Amino acid sequence: MVATILVVAVVGLALGVFLQKGRFCFVNAFRDFFAYKDSRVTKGVAVATLLTMVFWGIAYQFGYYGALWTPEWGLTGLVGGFVFGVGMTYAGGCASGTLYRAGEGYLQFWLTLLFMGVGYAAFAVAFPTLESTYFETFTFGSGVSLFTLSSIPAGLLALAVAGGAVLVYAAVLGRSSETGTLGGRSDVASVQLTALLAPIAGLRRIARGTREYVAGIVDAWRDPLAASKRPWDPRTAALGITGAAVLWFTQASIVGVTGPEARWTGYLLSQVGVDAESYDYWGSVLFQGQGVDVTTDMVMIGFVIVGAFLAASWSGDFSVRVPKRRRLPNAIGGGLLMGAGSRLAPGCNIGNIYSGIAELSVHSFIAAVGIVAGVYVMTRWIYREVGCAI
Amino acid sequence: MPSIDDVTNAPDELSDDRADKLLEEADLVQDMMGEVCPYPQVEAKKGLQDLESGELLVQETDHVPCTENVPRAVGDDAEARVWRSGDATYRIYLRKR
Repeated sequence: MVATILVVAVVGLALGVFLQKGRFCFVNAFRDFFAYKDSRVTKGVAVATLLTMVFWGIAYQFGYYGALWTPEWGLTGLVGGFVFGVGMTYAGGCASGTLYRAGEGYLQFWLTLLFMGVGYAAFAVAFPTLESTYFETFTFGSGVSLFTLSSIPAGLLALAVAGGAVLVYAAVLGRSSETGTLGGRSDVASVQLTALLAPIAGLRRIARGTREYVAGIVDAWRDPLAASKRPWDPRTAALGITGAAVLWFTQASIVGVTGPEARWTGYLLSQVGVDAESYDYWGSVLFQGQGVDVTTDMVMIGFVIVGAFLAASWSGDFSVRVPKRRRLPNAIGGGLLMGAGSRLAPGCNIGNIYSGIAELSVHSFIAAVGIVAGVYVMTRWIYREVGCAI
Repeated sequence: MPSIDDVTNAPDELSDDRADKLLEEADLVQDMMGEVCPYPQVEAKKGLQDLESGELLVQETDHVPCTENVPRAVGDDAEARVWRSGDATYRIYLRKR
């Protein structure tokens, strides 16, 4: 019991601290990439996902894990993911971003959380109808992770996928740096040569970037107190989040945010006299017939807010921030869309893009596409007056 | 020798005196308190469109990510400086190129 509480607290606090210090925001990662090709946070998200994939694969292969999360796959991922993606871009924070900003003192994001709760509750009420219509129609197969499906050992598979992703990225990176130097004078032979050398050129750039990153960290260590108060590189956040997620995976399950939040909604409603258990969605799906009570993952995401609060206070970034009145529709609308979208998929950016891809779940591949598509459409709309790079 | 700035890509920070002095010189001040991303980015781009080269736009904000995201969003259109109050408010100085 004490050990469980310790793990829950360590994982939650660590996630909160690293999310806050690394400004690890999935909206930022995709929106800013589309709007003006800023890929700093996108890289952080990719590093976290791929590293977690490798460690989870190894842990899975040797049996050191709690549980995988593999919902049935189908178009629900695309539909729900799209709704969630639109919602998080409109709200200005994803599921994890909303949590750590709540810890930074944003009343805006506490309001977002409240309306995500309204979204969960509305979904729970509509669930019996949705189950026989929406889920029946759009679900194609039972949930599966490539870790279990593949004949290749999970650890090797994860390494291969992560390695492949790095090579593809290196090739893209190498090509973009080559085109600059070659100019327009390239003939067929040199183009073919470039295609072969691109991954190598890209890997060199990744190696150089990593060296600079490590040198920066070493430099920061000379004055750790001052460095701890400054913003951290998203890659540092990626490393910390991976550490926490690996500990969580070996002790409990994958890291999720909106699932535990939906449970919180059911639990809090039951505390004020609503018979949440009589609703199928809470009673048999979310709490799986165990009774509506506080579960470990609910406590863990509570600690995420505490961790973010501590990190923000330490860095001088905490204050009770009162939103502009014209931003209230973002919290209300964005919260509702995130709450509903994350249930319709099911899963949020953490469950599907981070954890879901890291555990190679087929459902999450589809849902991740839906979320990114939603972010893209909403970004184009918000940037309609000033223009969008992609 | 690489410094922490190479790693975080944050713009140079201004001293308190310099920050106050520059605020008086500003040609356009945008109140972004209580705003969230990406609206300050969009407003900064719109604001710069109305300014002449060499003129100064200052955003006052309490949104932490803005100190990095706004300078990145305007890119080469402006030279960016940041001031941190240490008390969760920030100013972003954008001098149009």
